[in-house]
Amino acid sequence: MSDTKMVSLDAMDEQLIQKAKQEGVETMWDRKVTMKAPCGFGEKGVCCRICAMGPCRVSPVEGKGAQRGICGATADTIVARNFARMIAAGTAAHSDHAREIAHVMHLASKDGNYTIKDEKKLLRLAEEWEVKTEGKDIYDIAHEVAEIALNEFGKPFGTLRFLERAPEPRKKIWEKLKIKPRAIDREIATIMHSTHMGCTSDAESLIHMGMRTALADGWGGSMIGTEFSDILFGTPVPRETEANLGVLEEKQINILLHGHEPSLSEMIVMASQDPELVKLAHEVGAEGINLAGMCCTGNEVTMRHGVKIAGNFYQQELAVLTGVVEAVIVDVQCIFPSLTPITDCYHTKFITTSPKAKITGATHIEFNEEKALESAKGIVREAIENFKNRKQDKIFIPKTKAQATVGYSVEAVIKQLDRVVNSQIDPLGTVKPLADVIKAGVLRGAAGIVGCNNPKTQHDYGHIEVMKKLIANDVIVVTTGCAAQAAAKAGLTSKDAAKLAGKGLQAVCELVDIPPVLHMGSCVDISRIITLVSETAKFMGVDNCDLPVVGVAPEWMSEKAVAIGNYVMASGIDVFLGVLPPVTGSPEVVDLLTNRVEEMTGAKFFMDEDSLKLADMMLVRIEEKRKNLEKLGLATMNTAQEDDASTTALSEIV
Amino acid sequence: MNLFEIIYTGSNQALAAAEGLLKQAIDQKGKAHKVAFPETAYSLPVIYAATGLKMNSLGDLEGAIGVVKSLITEEPRLEPALNAGLATAVSAEIIEAIKYALNDTPYEAPCAGHISDATIRSLGVPLVTGDIPGVAVVLGECPDSETAAKVIKDYQSKGLLTFLVGKVIDQAIEANVKMGLELRVIPLGYDVTSVIHVVSVAIRASLIFGGVEPGKLAEHMEYTKNRVPAFVNAFGPLSELVVSAGAGAIALGFPVITDQDVLEVPTLLLTQKDYDKVTATSLEARGIKIKVTEIPIPVSFAAAFEGERVRKDD
Repeated sequence: MSDTKMVSLDAMDEQLIQKAKQEGVETMWDRKVTMKAPCGFGEKGVCCRICAMGPCRVSPVEGKGAQRGICGATADTIVARNFARMIAAGTAAHSDHAREIAHVMHLASKDGNYTIKDEKKLLRLAEEWEVKTEGKDIYDIAHEVAEIALNEFGKPFGTLRFLERAPEPRKKIWEKLKIKPRAIDREIATIMHSTHMGCTSDAESLIHMGMRTALADGWGGSMIGTEFSDILFGTPVPRETEANLGVLEEKQINILLHGHEPSLSEMIVMASQDPELVKLAHEVGAEGINLAGMCCTGNEVTMRHGVKIAGNFYQQELAVLTGVVEAVIVDVQCIFPSLTPITDCYHTKFITTSPKAKITGATHIEFNEEKALESAKGIVREAIENFKNRKQDKIFIPKTKAQATVGYSVEAVIKQLDRVVNSQIDPLGTVKPLADVIKAGVLRGAAGIVGCNNPKTQHDYGHIEVMKKLIANDVIVVTTGCAAQAAAKAGLTSKDAAKLAGKGLQAVCELVDIPPVLHMGSCVDISRIITLVSETAKFMGVDNCDLPVVGVAPEWMSEKAVAIGNYVMASGIDVFLGVLPPVTGSPEVVDLLTNRVEEMTGAKFFMDEDSLKLADMMLVRIEEKRKNLEKLGLATMNTAQEDDASTTALSEIV
Repeated sequence: MNLFEIIYTGSNQALAAAEGLLKQAIDQKGKAHKVAFPETAYSLPVIYAATGLKMNSLGDLEGAIGVVKSLITEEPRLEPALNAGLATAVSAEIIEAIKYALNDTPYEAPCAGHISDATIRSLGVPLVTGDIPGVAVVLGECPDSETAAKVIKDYQSKGLLTFLVGKVIDQAIEANVKMGLELRVIPLGYDVTSVIHVVSVAIRASLIFGGVEPGKLAEHMEYTKNRVPAFVNAFGPLSELVVSAGAGAIALGFPVITDQDVLEVPTLLLTQKDYDKVTATSLEARGIKIKVTEIPIPVSFAAAFEGERVRKDD
């Protein structure tokens, strides 16, 4: 480790990295060092491998070195194409996730493993999609709604249904820019087509296409994923949990749930409560079964069941290093293939379950959704039976963990807001209290802090520092994904953290009874954030881009993050990136993303590797948006002339 | 203007008025001229509670002006906005103190002006027992006298202690609302600054009943927020000064309910245009719950009428 100080904000991480060193286990930090300096062409996005005439690499400096690839593609084209493909990949990941959930809903039955938990939400969606509900069995409705959702992926005509949820001015912007996504898979395919050699060779056009595809994620795949997960598994409500590797229990069977799709993790939660399996756990000498979540699947089960959070993306290897994890159960996305060699060093079973993400060397137990619970029980049983194989001399559980309050779905947020509604004035169930405190300036604005971990930044530093700075300045933070887990570990999602907030946010937290940082779920649940912003904009009669709201990804890493950033921007919300995307080789693309897109969408990208600087930029931008809100007459009020005391003269008194 | 700008404008107006008035007073009477409110052991109670300092002369008040200035930092955040509200309260107390320093009887009937310690002590027990379930501060001008009377009588019949500031006093008189301490309706004065005499009541409750040490402003604010069930009804067009004074009320934990369009802050600054609902809105905002046993009789019935005198003419 060249610079261990850079590695992590969390002392616990350091301890485990030391342990890895002592035991000769390789971690991502070692591999990062082995990589040495990254290739400048790839880093700047000017390397192209999309045909066999290449690989080509062009100079990131205009007028110097190779200016065009063999086909004649310029740096602008190459960068934009690579960027567009990142968006396509991210959209594909979220969409396949959503498709799986929609299939599960299509499979749901009254006596089956998958049932409808939130009928109201289903009925609301059925109404929105004009599915007749009267006199119909709830499962018939579910199947019909699921089929409509499944058609959203590949319908031949029209545009996505959820786009209708956007504020009117936003829909007009999309219309005008011609970026209303048609069918989700189609947009992904179109990107792959247009980025094929000899197709689109215009950066602006590719950025446009990227936005359309990204919108197919945010307002398509991700939104379907979230809505359907809530219907099937229950809409999250506030609940208590704990976070960080200290949640692993020495005397229990520890099962690490890692990945993304709740259709698996929900069944594992059920299976782990099965009396027979609990009995078996006791028989093998354990005190019980301890589930611990990681990454987005961890977020899904913590939001709905309060399952403890072991850690975020960066800690997946570290969890195994504790030596007490009987099984790492994974499905898809953000799973290090290095879990194979790492688990080999311990007794830990690395179990892959999805045919979409097989990993060489892992134990593959395919999760069968038709027999979901039985299938899940089999997997849990594997973990229990592995308890006896623990290597006692390799056990080390760092003690740190923090209390967290999670479960803030849009519905839960509105329910909390109802606490401050004066029943003599306003109806319940609206976002008015939120709109009011923003207009009055008690809250300066809101920030959605999302994204991954990235070894280019100190682990969790960006997340935590940006959050602290924003809440201290009366900006409420909503968070998802690994950023949310960073917040949970740092104690920022506990109600106690209100003491770190500015007086305005503190007052709001006390009155509404919420933490200053609200955990809104997994990465597909960013659709909750755009829903909340859009509902607030609609309530105020403005567009998303008029609100003092920012989106931030301080430590982003995946292509999913690129898709998210683009749909958030295309939805009218400024996006702040703490890691530079591979676009710097094209001044044209940089200009488009950080400047010209604002004329199109009312929002743009801001990039800076210094998190604190990034936070300052957000605060400036938020105040700019507030000025704009005042210009619209929404954050101002009129006063009358004072005719007495302020002008009291002495003569009047004596 | 945005809400905070209005508050800062009002606070600066109050500061300028206090500063100007003090300068005139000193020019006329000299720095050594005595300053005191009648019948209180707490000097100028708001300044005393906030700073722990007793104000004895006009010269001392120059120091209080410094306190006001230090409380006005014009940043667009809630905390400085609430502090600016407190600054307005201090300015108002300075202005009112000068009135008393230069005039033996600055207030005449029906206005009470400064409230004595003895009165506050007599209110202490019924406040603690809940016999007085709340304190309403009705400020400004209602659209008409009937509306003013309806709101005030509603508070009166619920046993609340109501203070009146501004033109609403005349409206109450016009509508034959019976007033006086024993009837729990107290007109304070016509100037906005006279509202400080009810703030002074709340602050002295903290000093007397709460036993909070002078100078511990945060603790006083905590006490008033938790223990003094007061709220403000601001009627009629709102000036910057009134909004700024309202911020002072909010800083002490007292919600402000107005009939004007304002930038609402949930539970703290609310608009209620339906005068029939003002009472219910205010009680809910302050969390005041009143158990009412309605007795079907043709006259109002409440503890507030206990001290009423029936004169020959009645």
